[in-house]
Amino acid sequence: MSLKSLSKEWEAVSYGFLDASAKRELRRKMLKAVAVPGCQMPYASREVPMARGWGTGGLQVSLTLMNPKTVVKVIDQGADDSVNAASIRKFLTRVTGAEATWDTLEATLIQSRHRVPEEKLTKDQILVLQVPNPEPLRTVEPNMSIARQMHADADYSRMWLQLYEQIVRSGRVMQGASYPSMVNGRHVMTPSPIPRWDVPKLHMAEHLTILSAGREKRIFAVPPHTRVEPLVFSDVPYKVEEHGDITCARSALKGFFMNEIPNDDGTSSYEVSDSNLGIKALNAPEDASQKIGETWYQDGEWAQ
Amino acid sequence: MAYVATRGGERAIEQSERLFKQELGTITPAKVKQVRETMPYLVDRVMGEASLYDRDVAALALAQTGGELSEAVLLLRAWRTTQPRISVAKPLEQDELHVFRRISAAFKDIPGGQLLGPSLDYAHRLLATEVLSGEDYTPEPVDAAEKAAPSHQPSVSAWLSSQGLVDDADHDDTAPDDIPDLTREPLLFPAKRAHRLQSLARADSGGVLALGYSAMRGYGQAHPTVSELRLTEAEIEVRHPCGTSFSAGRVKVSQAEVVSKAKGERLERGFAATFGWNEVKCISAATLDLNADGAEKNSAVEEEFFLYHTEGVESSGFCIHFKLPHYVTFQSSLDAMRDAKAKKQTPQMEAAE
Repeated sequence: MSLKSLSKEWEAVSYGFLDASAKRELRRKMLKAVAVPGCQMPYASREVPMARGWGTGGLQVSLTLMNPKTVVKVIDQGADDSVNAASIRKFLTRVTGAEATWDTLEATLIQSRHRVPEEKLTKDQILVLQVPNPEPLRTVEPNMSIARQMHADADYSRMWLQLYEQIVRSGRVMQGASYPSMVNGRHVMTPSPIPRWDVPKLHMAEHLTILSAGREKRIFAVPPHTRVEPLVFSDVPYKVEEHGDITCARSALKGFFMNEIPNDDGTSSYEVSDSNLGIKALNAPEDASQKIGETWYQDGEWAQ
Repeated sequence: MAYVATRGGERAIEQSERLFKQELGTITPAKVKQVRETMPYLVDRVMGEASLYDRDVAALALAQTGGELSEAVLLLRAWRTTQPRISVAKPLEQDELHVFRRISAAFKDIPGGQLLGPSLDYAHRLLATEVLSGEDYTPEPVDAAEKAAPSHQPSVSAWLSSQGLVDDADHDDTAPDDIPDLTREPLLFPAKRAHRLQSLARADSGGVLALGYSAMRGYGQAHPTVSELRLTEAEIEVRHPCGTSFSAGRVKVSQAEVVSKAKGERLERGFAATFGWNEVKCISAATLDLNADGAEKNSAVEEEFFLYHTEGVESSGFCIHFKLPHYVTFQSSLDAMRDAKAKKQTPQMEAAE
């Protein structure tokens, strides 16, 4: 036995870009995050070859979880061909040798900015959400040290008050995306700026969701079969965006989250936000492999 | 007819990057050398903000980004991530540094003497416009002093301390290898002393100046007096695994210590140091350090506030991320807004009755 036989050849950059100590820290913090669902775990967050705020948190998690057998899908605002999704996918596949896909059903790891795919995720899939601001209390308490104490005390009174004030002022909760949600009955988290349409997809899900904020250096998770309950008053039910009755102008799909496209004549047309779902719908008649899987919503209604 | 997915995104970003790089042209070793030699203070600044001391690599980053400073610093920080941490250098005492410039505003003269060194402080800031009309500008040669100032100087702080004018800093006997490293651990509050100083050392120079200046103008409690400003070179002394110590070279270090007017019997101190020679940054950062203890929550001189907001890579990254599409979140807000508007326009049942 020689030293050479025990060690690897020198390489300029580690497999998956991050070095072993960075990956070890991330694995430990991910395990902690899974153990205490919805609780923000601080991590060092290394600088990666992408600007902060552009998915560096999600990127570090993906780089740690990926191996050559991973099939990765990267979306931004629901689209695979969005410029930043393309850039992240290129980097991930280049440094890990993993295969890329646009198909939600084929992917083993999905890194996403601001959407959860419309097709149901399974226990063999991991969803990595990019998080710009991990702190749901930021709007009521910008100071992170105080907010941390409020989480420790489960003191969410100001959050509730803010929602109540919105109802009094505007007749409804005005929170758009990033709807604050109680995880496992203990920690309020931001589900990242996914639309309200997507929050129920995290509740008692089959898949693991890891949320990572690179710039703010916080990681949190929703393990499978964990409660994720949007903060609502018992007499004012949670309302997702009213997209259930809209039809996609390109794919004719109906009952999914849509992108609104303003027209010259002052009207709007819509196209399905989960872009590969639209592609599948268009190609399905000619290509059986393009079959759409089971979706969380059916006919525009949440399907149990 | 099958819908063909457009992969426009991938082609567009590729071409956009090419367009930027085409404008900059070929990067040659000569160009990098020229950047390094003609702009030492700029190179110092990016090395400080990148917390990576390597003039060649820093000059390369500047050449590769065309001097887009936040991009240059990001490039260096990302490269730094790929580098192993081989060793921790021996901690240095002030009188072990090679001093090129040290001044004190607190005293007319100080033990060891005021040493002006290289500075533009008393220069008339006049553009050498003759260069643009084809003439060279050659600076006047320096007349060397008859007796060179000693390279090693005691710190003003040591004198203040011996007079009982300042509290002696708490002696910290943390082993060098155990000194907290901001790049390997999250920044939490109240921050460890090492984390605060490291964070200020790698902070954006402009950001530190803006917040430091707000404190100097009066938004902070303490008005700084520059007890000592130093431009130095530090020997990097590391241990070889076989036990011997050797110098791995020298790095330029600037540092400032400021003191406030006495509130009680002793002066309060603020300190900052950074890679490279960057006086404005050190004085501003030391002013923030001076004001931090007991600062009001959410004020510009509170540690959490200034450390988060002067982090150049994080702040510039977040700022430019607003260029990314946000149409899903925007759609979600529009939906809530339209619904609220519709509710207001529909007369309430009670009102109608």
